[in-house]
Order: sequence, then structure tokens, then C-alpha cells
Amino acid sequence: MILFFLTSGLFLGWSLGANDASNVFGSAVGSKMVSFRKAAIIASIFVILGAVIQGAGGAQTLGKLGAVNAIGGSFTLALAAGVTVYMMTKFSLPVSTTQAIVGAIIGWNLFTGNKTDPGTLSKIVATWISGPLLGAIFAILLFILLARIKKASKVHIIRFESLIKTWLIIVGAFGAYSLGANNIANVMGVFVPAFNLNHLDLGLFTLSSAQQLFLLGGLAIAVGIITYSKKVMETIGTNIVELSPEAAMVVVLAQSLVLFIFSSSGLSDLFVRLGLPSIPMVPVSSSQVIVGCVIGIGLYKGIRNINFRLLGEIALGWLATPVMSGLMTFFSLFFIKNIFGIDVGHKVAEGIRESGLITGAPDSSTSEMIRYILIGIVIISLVTGIVYYIIDRRKQTELRASEEKFWKNMKK
Amino acid sequence: MAVFTRTTKKLILRIDEFFDNVELGVLVFREGIKSYINKDIEAYKRHLQKVDALEGNADKLQRTIENDMITHSILPQNRAEVTTLIDKVDEIIDSIKRSLNEIIIEMPEIPSELNKDFITLAEASANAAEELIPAARAYFKAPYTVREKLLKVYYFESETDKLSLNTKKRIFQEINGLDMAHKAHLRYIVHHIEHISDLAQRAADLLSGMAIKIVM
Repeated sequence: MILFFLTSGLFLGWSLGANDASNVFGSAVGSKMVSFRKAAIIASIFVILGAVIQGAGGAQTLGKLGAVNAIGGSFTLALAAGVTVYMMTKFSLPVSTTQAIVGAIIGWNLFTGNKTDPGTLSKIVATWISGPLLGAIFAILLFILLARIKKASKVHIIRFESLIKTWLIIVGAFGAYSLGANNIANVMGVFVPAFNLNHLDLGLFTLSSAQQLFLLGGLAIAVGIITYSKKVMETIGTNIVELSPEAAMVVVLAQSLVLFIFSSSGLSDLFVRLGLPSIPMVPVSSSQVIVGCVIGIGLYKGIRNINFRLLGEIALGWLATPVMSGLMTFFSLFFIKNIFGIDVGHKVAEGIRESGLITGAPDSSTSEMIRYILIGIVIISLVTGIVYYIIDRRKQTELRASEEKFWKNMKK
Repeated sequence: MAVFTRTTKKLILRIDEFFDNVELGVLVFREGIKSYINKDIEAYKRHLQKVDALEGNADKLQRTIENDMITHSILPQNRAEVTTLIDKVDEIIDSIKRSLNEIIIEMPEIPSELNKDFITLAEASANAAEELIPAARAYFKAPYTVREKLLKVYYFESETDKLSLNTKKRIFQEINGLDMAHKAHLRYIVHHIEHISDLAQRAADLLSGMAIKIVM
């Protein structure tokens, strides 16, 4: 039953993988610089690593906005956010999973009578604006730097492109890591307070309850990337066709830096130690940050390149997504609670912040199931990798043989 | 990553070798025409053999470069233009080989009064093709400098046009004692020589657009 409640979060993770992985590898795959297979494998691995290693920060901030204290509530909230994302995508409206989940949490707060912390909310909303802005600044600076290096080095364009290709993979891996670290909170953040799993010992390291949830969320994102992101990546790539490969790399790097900054507690601590204000650990919309980066490059190249209509649509999305998601959550919670009689959460007394919201013994069977899922994935990945390697080798041998035959016939 | 580097290195070397072949072909063409005018047919045949080998090698390199670029997905956004450029440059050495072959088959009789005209015409036409090669190489290393290098190609092409017109005028209006068939034959040879600079100009037009695109 517990796993059933997780399905809505996993669905949200799947849609995030299908849509947002294109922000990281879209331009590389669309411009044929990196093959989809390579991009999907790298993105999947690093998104999971980011989610498990660095996913806690954003989840804590969402928890401060509203600590959903019943599994039924988490399920409904994630489902409402997922349906909002799906509906808005269907009507071709710009949508962000982050904004949908924030709207859903506020909807839950309203329904259960919990107070929405205005400080946390303003911190989150501020990053919706500062994220794309920071992305634009990073993109401009990195673009100028790269253009200067290229002009000064007089490197052969084929060698330069080969370097860019390598960097697109490295930056893409970093982007996927940052996406996992920052956006896993959207997928699994609302389930963290409602789950209490046994620690999972994997020999080299141990996964906490939250990390196991992030791992499942990361896997859902990876499935989304592998099964559904190809079309989106190819479309995104052709949409940003004006971007040269180096500009595409700059955009991905700038976006990854923004996502990383808003999910790195280490960096935030360093800021505090240096006497600077701390960086809020907030999930930001990768789609909106990437639009900010592209606009940054557009600004650098000349104002005519900017699509102001797109800017207007994003601004509309900032308002429409949380409102729609909040309303949907509110009404869904009403139905789930009154028709199915499922506990969707309760009001927490003022001034008390619940930490372990689900009491009782930790759930060990789910942890064991996660262990078996992991073993299964490792085996499947190994077998698939070996099969693809053999197919690739065979293709290369056939190509070489046909080339040799051609030149032999030409000599005759 | 090592595979990338190896393929990249090989491809860069192949492109360089391809341009070397065409450049040498142009030099040999110039010498070949001089040998023919000086009635040194043995030397001419040697030059023709050399051009034949260079053209064959250039064709092979062209095919390998195209294959490498497609199979390793190199320069996906500029690949079509780069392969078209290589094709257009290859047309120059193809045309050189064709012209030298036709001269040796048809053995046109060039009046001694026109010796200088033919040599100057061949020089100018070969210069246009020769100046294209550094510009084409620059596209890969310093695209900012391509357009200034192309100016020489356009200059020599227009010089070739003028010289060709002048030679044709001399053939038909100034040189006496030539029958119409002989005059038409000489004009045909002039066209062959002039065609090399025309091909260089066509490649230069493409290269100029490519350079703007890559710099932007």
C-alpha cells in the first residue's frame, strides 16, 4: 500500500525526466553532437547520484513551506501537481514542476488549516526570478570568456568541436547531477516527512530513509529520460537551432551552475562563513533558468534576438501554475478525505515543527524491496551494456569491410 | 575520449593532405602547360601522371573525410557545407586532370605568337586556384581571416577573365593564317584553362558564406 501512495510521486518524477532532461542534453542531442543513447545513460546515472547525494536541501525548504504529515496527503498533492503539469503541457503552456508543487503545498496548507510560512514562500518565489536572472548573467559571462579563448587559441575547428563535444558530455553530466539534486525535492520532497524507512546498508555506504525515497525518485526520473525524452530532446535541439554548439554548452553550464548553487548546502555554508548571506536551498525550474540563459546570450548578441512573447508566457506560468495546482490540490484533498476516507493530514499546532511525522517502527520491507530493485537494475544495465557493445562492434567491422571492398574494386 | 582524439587527429591530417594534393595539382598544372608550350612532351606526360596520382588520392581522401564526418558525427551543423567545399575544391583538381588529358589527346597547335598569352593565362588561372587553398585552410583555423584571403582569388579570377578575353581576341582578330577550326580549337583550350579559375571562384563564394556563418 505504501508503494501505491508513492506512484503519484514516481509519475511526477517520470514526467520531470521526460521533459527536463531535454534542458540538459536537448541542444547536444538535437544538434547531433551527442547521441541520444549516450545522453540518456549519462543523464540517468548523474540524475540519480545528484538526487541521492545532494537532494536534501531543497526537500527541507519545501518541508518548511508545509510538512505534509500523512501519506494520503503526499499522494494527493503529488498527483494534483502531476496532473497540473500534464494539463498545462497539453495546452502548450509553459509549466514548471517546482511551481506546481509549491502551489500544491499551499493548497494542502489551506485545506488542513496550516499556516504557510511567508518567509519560506518569499524565499522560494524570489528564486523563481533570481534563478533565470542569474542564469542570464552566467551565460553572458561564460559566452564572452569562451569566445575570447576560441579567438585567441586559433584551434582547428574540428579539434575545437571535439573539445566542445567532450565538454557537452561533462557539462551535461554536471547538469544532470544538479537537476537531480535540485529537482528531486519536487518529486519526493512531499513524501519525506510522511515516510520512515529503515536505513539501507549497501556495503560501501548507507542510505537514510529520505535518500531511499530520493533514489526511487531518481530512478523514476531516469525511466522518464530513457523512455520519453528522446522526442523532447530532438524538438528542443531544433528549437534552439540558432545556438552554436559552444553557445549550447554555455547555456547548459550556466543552467547547471544555477541549479547547483540552489542545492549545495556546502556552498551555502561557505557563504555564511565568509560573512555573506546564505543561499536558499530551493528547487528552481530548470526550464525557466535555461530560458534565462538563452535570453542572456540573446541580449549579448543584440536585443532583436529576444522573444518577448516567450517572456510573457513564462510570467503567466509563474502565476497560473501554482494557482491551478493549489486549487486542484484543495479540491482533490476534499474528495480523497470525504469520499475515500483517507487521512490527508492534520493541522500542526503553532510554533511546533514536527520532525518525525510518522511514528512507529521503521519500515524494513520497503527498504529490502529497494535493495532488490537496485540489484535488478545493475544486472539489467550490465546485460544491456554488453549487448549494445557487441552490436556496435559488429556495425563498425561491417563498415570497415565495406569500405575496404569499395577501394579494392576501385583499384581494379 | 581517446577514440575522439584519434579520429579528430586523423581527420585534420586528412583534410590537410587533401588540400596539399590540390595545391600540388595546381603547381603541376602550371608546369605542365609550360612544358607543352615549350614542346617538352616527355615532361608534360610526367606532369600528367603526377596530376593523375594526386587526383586519385584527393578523391580517396574526399570520400574518407565525408565518411569520417558522418560516422563520427563531426561538425554536425557545418558538415554539409564542409563536404560541399571539399567537393568544389576537388572539382578543381578534376578539371586540371581533364584539361591536361584533353590537351595530350587533341595536341592543339599553339602558334608561337600566343605562347606568352597561354602561359600568362595559365599562371593567372592557377594563381586563383592556388590562393583558394590558404583561405580554405584558414576556415578551419582562423575563420576571421578567410574573407581577406579570398580577395586574391577574386582578383586573379578577374585577371584570368581579362587575359582569356584578350587571348581569344588575338586568336580571332590578330593572328593571321589560322583556319576557323584551328581558331575554335584554341578557344576551346582557353576555355579549359579559364575554367579552373571559375571553379576557384565558385568555391570562394561558398567559403565566404561559410566563414560569415561560423564567425557569427
